[in-house]
Amino acid sequence: MSDQFATSAPDEAMALALRRIAESEAAGQGSEMAGLGFNQVVVNMGPQHPSTHGVLRLVVTLDGELVKDVIPVIGYLHRGKEKIAEKRTYYQYIPIVDRTEYVAGMNCEWGYVRTVEKLAGIEPTRRAEFIRVIMAELNRIASHQVGVGTFTADLAPLGTAMVFYAFRHREKILDLLEAASGARMMFNYFRFGGVRYDLPDGWVDTCRELMLQVPAWCKEYEALVNDNAVFLQRCLGKGVMTQEDVADYAITGPNARASGVAHDLRRTRPYSVYPELDFEVCLGQHGDVFDRYQVRVDEIRESARIVLQCLDMLPAGPVQLGTLRAPYIVTPPPGACYTAQENPRGEYGTYIVSDGSRYPYRLKYRDPCFVNLQIFPKLLRGNKIADAVAISGSMDLVLGGIDR
Amino acid sequence: MLPAIGSAGLSIDDVAARLAATFDADLSDLRVQEPDTVVAVLEGGRLHDVALRLRALEGLTYESCNFIAAVDLGDHFEAVYHLYSFAANSYLELHVAVPRSKPIVDTVSDVWPAADWHEREAFDLMGIRFEGHPDPRRILLPDDWVGHPLRKDYVDSIENHPNV
Repeated sequence: MSDQFATSAPDEAMALALRRIAESEAAGQGSEMAGLGFNQVVVNMGPQHPSTHGVLRLVVTLDGELVKDVIPVIGYLHRGKEKIAEKRTYYQYIPIVDRTEYVAGMNCEWGYVRTVEKLAGIEPTRRAEFIRVIMAELNRIASHQVGVGTFTADLAPLGTAMVFYAFRHREKILDLLEAASGARMMFNYFRFGGVRYDLPDGWVDTCRELMLQVPAWCKEYEALVNDNAVFLQRCLGKGVMTQEDVADYAITGPNARASGVAHDLRRTRPYSVYPELDFEVCLGQHGDVFDRYQVRVDEIRESARIVLQCLDMLPAGPVQLGTLRAPYIVTPPPGACYTAQENPRGEYGTYIVSDGSRYPYRLKYRDPCFVNLQIFPKLLRGNKIADAVAISGSMDLVLGGIDR
Repeated sequence: MLPAIGSAGLSIDDVAARLAATFDADLSDLRVQEPDTVVAVLEGGRLHDVALRLRALEGLTYESCNFIAAVDLGDHFEAVYHLYSFAANSYLELHVAVPRSKPIVDTVSDVWPAADWHEREAFDLMGIRFEGHPDPRRILLPDDWVGHPLRKDYVDSIENHPNV
């Protein structure tokens, strides 16, 4: 019955879902409503679906409204970035990194640039380090606003009010990033040993003014949804991730911290000037959908605090190393290096193998969303299909990073 | 509950010494990569056994498999396993050589569920097979793709992707 609407031969994921149904029925664990003449149904959620935030496809096996099984299918946005790296010089590859986790381009660039710097033994200037932290934290705020905004929009009863508040504020931050780098999202701003441009005149004051408003923004978000009975019913106790799940599936970022695991690379594996800064690692207690939302809102506040501190501590000096040509040609000695850093979605790592030439011999991303997505079948099984939307929204996936 | 991060209070040299003593027969070329990573070479045949022991190591449990990278080194492949221990707050990087003529290693997805997709990716893009993997399908490329593009000898051709 389940393939009655199929118009072409099922692909491997679909065939796997059908096979699992046949197996479960043979084992006597078929539909709970078999006596009523019902059957398990396979539904393709995505790749074009408003609540998957990209081209994620979930092959969902439903028994009535209950999710029995989920098979995530990815790769629709695969652009072969790891292969592309092997044909580009280290310098030429910087703009391509933006397009992995594209709502947090600054953070991604930083991850790549840091790895190459570590391989080649380049030390960035001190002013550049502060500018990098400022940009990364601004981008973290913008990214969490996308995450929180679209997540609440997924919970249909709230309408789309919240997403407009979040995106309105996000636009102001993107204006700042654009003023500094020249682009809203695809920045191409980081350079080996520094950043491309120094901050423009008046930027620091504008940024400070905006960051002072951030606590009020967060209050606004919370006032909109935190006391909303419908919102709470759809969030509390749903999609609970235990600490064991976090370890087993190597979950990182706000999703791990919502379960009370204090894993924040800015603290546990300090880099750049983070040891000099004062900020809290935001934790949840229950690891449910609500905590994952709340941790993100809290992190927006903390990021604003970090930016304000950096603006006060910002030293004078150059933002690039040496002469203009110096950072263009980088030839790290042979060897391999993995560095990781805290992106808005978790541990974003780059593993680079160098053979001593101007081109990376092998580049591998450790993308937080790719890893976080693996827990979906476990998290969604046994929930109602409507909750599956809430849970997947709360994980805040970006497909550009997953598919690379 | 997981142990608090860094609660074991081990320095990276302590971790390296502990690993060297416990896995004397298995890990070779053990060295410390600053600030918090131990790098070692492991023979492919011992992988699954060592993985089980690392997962259950008292006081220095490697709870997470952070990622697996597959590298084409010309005459052979290399699978790089990146593991994380919460109690010691340190990483372990295991290099496993995989012969080109017979690119097969044991799966560790039963030890660390997170390894599942990384192994599928290594199969998809590099053509390394993981014996005992529960779902050895391609992951990023279409099901009917021919060849493994991250191999250095891969030649792109329209015949490799018939449905495009």
